[in-house]
Amino acid sequence: MRMLEARRGGRTGHLLDLALPLAGAVLAAPRPPPRTGREARRTDRVARHLHGGAAILALAVLADSGLEHYRAMFFNRAMYVPLAASSLTLAASLHGLLDERPLPHAARDAVYGLAAATGLVGNGFHLWNIGKRPGGFSWLNLFYGAPVGAPMALLLAGAVGLAAERVREDAAARRPRILGQPAGRLLAGLAATGLAGTSAEAALFHFRGAYHDPFMFVPVALPPVAAALLARAAAEPGRRRPRRLARWWLRLTALLGFAGVGFHAFGIHRNMGGWRNWSQNILNGPPLPAPPSFTGLALAGLAALRLLEEEGRDG
Amino acid sequence: MAESMHRFPGYDVLAKRDTPSWNPQTRRVIEERLALPPQAHGFFTEAEWRTLNAVCARILPQPPDRADPVPIAALLDQQMQQNRGDGFRQADMPPLREAWRRGLAAIEAEARLRHGAAFHALAAAQQDALLHSIQQGEVRAAEWQGLPVAHFFKARLLHDIVDAYYAHPTAWNEIGFGGPASPRGYVRMGFDRRDPWEAVERKP
Amino acid sequence: MSASDNHSGASPGGPDRPAGEDPLVTPRARQGRAPDVFRPGAWLPMREYPEDEPVDFAIIGTGAGGSTLACRLAEHGFGVVALEAGPFWRPLEDFASDELEQSKLYWLDERITDGEDPIEMGRNNSGRSVGGSMVHFAMVSLRFRPEWFSARSSLGYGVDWPIPWQEMWRYYAEVEEALKIAGPVRYPWGPPRGRYPYRAHEVNAAGLVLARGCEALGIPWAPVPLATVSAPRGQSPPCVYRGFCIIGCSTNAKQSPLVTWIPRAIRAGAEIRDLAMAGRVELGPRGRVSGVHYHREGRWRFQRARNVVVAGYAVETPRLLLNSACPAFPDGLANRSGLVGKNLMVHSGHGVFGRVEEEVRWYKGPPSLALTEHWNYTDTGKDFDGGYVPMSQGPLPVEWANVLTARGIWGEDLRQRMTDYIHGAGAKIVGEVMPQERNRVTLDAEQDRFGLPVARVTFSYCDNDRRLIRHALRFQRQLLEGAGVTGLFDVEDTAHLMGTCRMGTDPVRSVTDADGRCWDIPNLWVCDGSLFPTSGAVNPSLTIQALACRAADRIRTLARRGEL
Repeated sequence: MRMLEARRGGRTGHLLDLALPLAGAVLAAPRPPPRTGREARRTDRVARHLHGGAAILALAVLADSGLEHYRAMFFNRAMYVPLAASSLTLAASLHGLLDERPLPHAARDAVYGLAAATGLVGNGFHLWNIGKRPGGFSWLNLFYGAPVGAPMALLLAGAVGLAAERVREDAAARRPRILGQPAGRLLAGLAATGLAGTSAEAALFHFRGAYHDPFMFVPVALPPVAAALLARAAAEPGRRRPRRLARWWLRLTALLGFAGVGFHAFGIHRNMGGWRNWSQNILNGPPLPAPPSFTGLALAGLAALRLLEEEGRDG
Repeated sequence: MAESMHRFPGYDVLAKRDTPSWNPQTRRVIEERLALPPQAHGFFTEAEWRTLNAVCARILPQPPDRADPVPIAALLDQQMQQNRGDGFRQADMPPLREAWRRGLAAIEAEARLRHGAAFHALAAAQQDALLHSIQQGEVRAAEWQGLPVAHFFKARLLHDIVDAYYAHPTAWNEIGFGGPASPRGYVRMGFDRRDPWEAVERKP
Repeated sequence: MSASDNHSGASPGGPDRPAGEDPLVTPRARQGRAPDVFRPGAWLPMREYPEDEPVDFAIIGTGAGGSTLACRLAEHGFGVVALEAGPFWRPLEDFASDELEQSKLYWLDERITDGEDPIEMGRNNSGRSVGGSMVHFAMVSLRFRPEWFSARSSLGYGVDWPIPWQEMWRYYAEVEEALKIAGPVRYPWGPPRGRYPYRAHEVNAAGLVLARGCEALGIPWAPVPLATVSAPRGQSPPCVYRGFCIIGCSTNAKQSPLVTWIPRAIRAGAEIRDLAMAGRVELGPRGRVSGVHYHREGRWRFQRARNVVVAGYAVETPRLLLNSACPAFPDGLANRSGLVGKNLMVHSGHGVFGRVEEEVRWYKGPPSLALTEHWNYTDTGKDFDGGYVPMSQGPLPVEWANVLTARGIWGEDLRQRMTDYIHGAGAKIVGEVMPQERNRVTLDAEQDRFGLPVARVTFSYCDNDRRLIRHALRFQRQLLEGAGVTGLFDVEDTAHLMGTCRMGTDPVRSVTDADGRCWDIPNLWVCDGSLFPTSGAVNPSLTIQALACRAADRIRTLARRGEL
């Protein structure tokens, strides 16, 4: 009964927390929290933001790999694996998001680990697929073979989720650490790398689209700046200004993830037959689920900034 | 080959008529083709019509259990009425309509000369043998005078019959062709890849 | 015979269309407007020129040569009237996914063929539409090998072109940009070129068969640079791979002149007159032509012009010049050289086909998505002059059935073999054919519906052509065997038309100069594939358009110098 109440009591708060990474954290500018004794709770919130980031990444992977592997007729049974892995990751990260207990969770850990491994192995599969096509590692096969880098989004989802668990693990402590490193720095590095990689993927496919629309340069230009600023903030945890700059760029990048879906929806409309010809254009037009990866990574970056802030305060 | 031996069982391009695979102008054109009565003829005489039907039945024999056979002869009659040629002919070949009239008369004459019977009254094997000798240019009837025999067979007779047959949805079903495709085209381009709106091949 | 006789019963515009709206019967580009091909039912405002005042340029034909020249001349500020014998299509509304219906795109008025190897005309190599045969071309957009522009001095056969390759290279780039050619990031052959404006298309299974064969032989292959967009471009959506390219693109992804040069030309102030059949070019005083007699809306008319450009392609161009014979030019206009109509060239289209175990479904995507220019750029191991380029194929059912019947197959056998359609794979070449004076276009005694003598097209291969064909067939067999294709058989075919009004540097050995200006008549020009002194071994449309862009620039230069 007590548990039930606790859960019910927690739910409204959790729902707010769910909304926060999606909108609040992006739009509102929370002031740097005063240095009080509530760091543990704040750290827990960071963990849940990380779960939110992992959730968005997992959702993007689920939709993207679902669509692309449907296009490939699930020719290889292994094509179902990322669907399963990303679904589990999504479930785990939503669970983590709603979970108030400042403790890591063995099942979630396992799922995140599985996702990361699936991402890595998947990328191997994709590289193998490209290599065996006539032409090998040519531009043509990079464009039309299994998309190299796409499975990395699953690796990132897993890694962000694992980071969330580690942060939560150390929630009681003042400074969460991952692999012996300050969590903020490591996470910042992860998010920055992920943003740069995802940007590179957008660059490849927008190059395939010949940058026919100038807006196609945005996801190539904007996230790398955010990544660089985040890296700088991590390198100088003692200074506030780099963090503030990084925060704004990351918020912009998070918004870009959503705007990208809108642009891609417009792109589908520009294909022959538009949305009426959805059965073709969803697959041949720009991929709807791809851009939100930027949002997921930006959220991870924003969470990293909070940890950096605390690390900076301590340092 | 009976229709039941179909390589693409259950496939019907016409089932796509109301999907994005067909645009209005294609629907119009194909509906008009399908509406052509198999016995409609305004160009060929009754005698020519009988010979023509017999020739078509040997050049592209259709399964007897076929529900919607291609009305090849009627399509050819329509072509003659429209005088729809190829935009060229070899110097020794008469124009489209004349070539067909003379060719059918010559086939009939050849049948009577060899077998003493009308072409359409011959057994299938006799008809085939006669068509094969025309294909080789080995003919005796005087009616062939002024027609390049083998060339007529290949460039006119075979060509026009095959054009009519393979422009019909029944033939598209038979060979697993995707059929009309606009605005929706295709997504899956590689080996052994099939869009959901394409024919499924029966595997042995 | 009128167009309505030709197609009575089944109006290709569709049975529901009132006669007054049948684009094969009633012109669409008139009363100051022309169809807007991108928007159903919409119009573009179009400038109109009076017939009795000489227009700067009257251009006959709106194909690769005429439409490009009309556009560039109008953009240079000249007054332009372009006459087109065919209709002004609205692809989104008029083009069906049907081989028979779309024969309305071809030049179907009779031509007589003879020679040892009579050419197939009609759907094979001719068009009658605003946009010309490019409305149904396979979109293959290749540059000549640089040495071909100096075939005689560099390679020892044929004749030299009067234009250096470097100059053509610049104009190729201009055309590729204008058509947003989708090509590979790096093209494996020839001198470096700028990047293609759009990325190459995905290669379909039929193309991958050729790629597989090339890799087995250890020679390079490439995706084909194509004039159909791989991403949105203006109002053109990207290609949907519907595969009906050679019977007309109903989505406007194909960058034919109908959706590129023509709308540009109209916006720049050119007038396009559809269903306007030119019958005779009139020679005026002082050895200059004064205009064109043409038939439109039921009667003969005369358009006065300061310059006349003939751009009817390699059959209609010499036919018109020969038919414009007059006392000053009894053997045909601008034909003092006697070469008008001579040196007709085609490309050999010989190929090899067979079957693969996998489902290929070659009706999907543009017909040719992979090629190898190995034998265009390799000069050793050949027992012939010239080159050839094998390309993957994707024939539609009627076309494929005709390939089989050409082998003499019919009956149950034919139906059986046709059920293997989705397993078909093969390659055909674009093979260089030597210029010979005996291959020519002349006037026949037979007359067309306008009372004009029809063209007689005479063609025979020479020994070198036959050696090239043998080599190409042998090579393609190796290629396809290497790719795992079985049951191989050879196919004879031709493609394209060239020559018949060759350009050159010597008035005795050519009809025009490098600008397409007739040696005999300074205000009469030719701008189409007729100009080619040699055929090269790539599809001619890109080169024709490059020549037209160059001619437009040259005409502007000459006009500035007062030398027109």
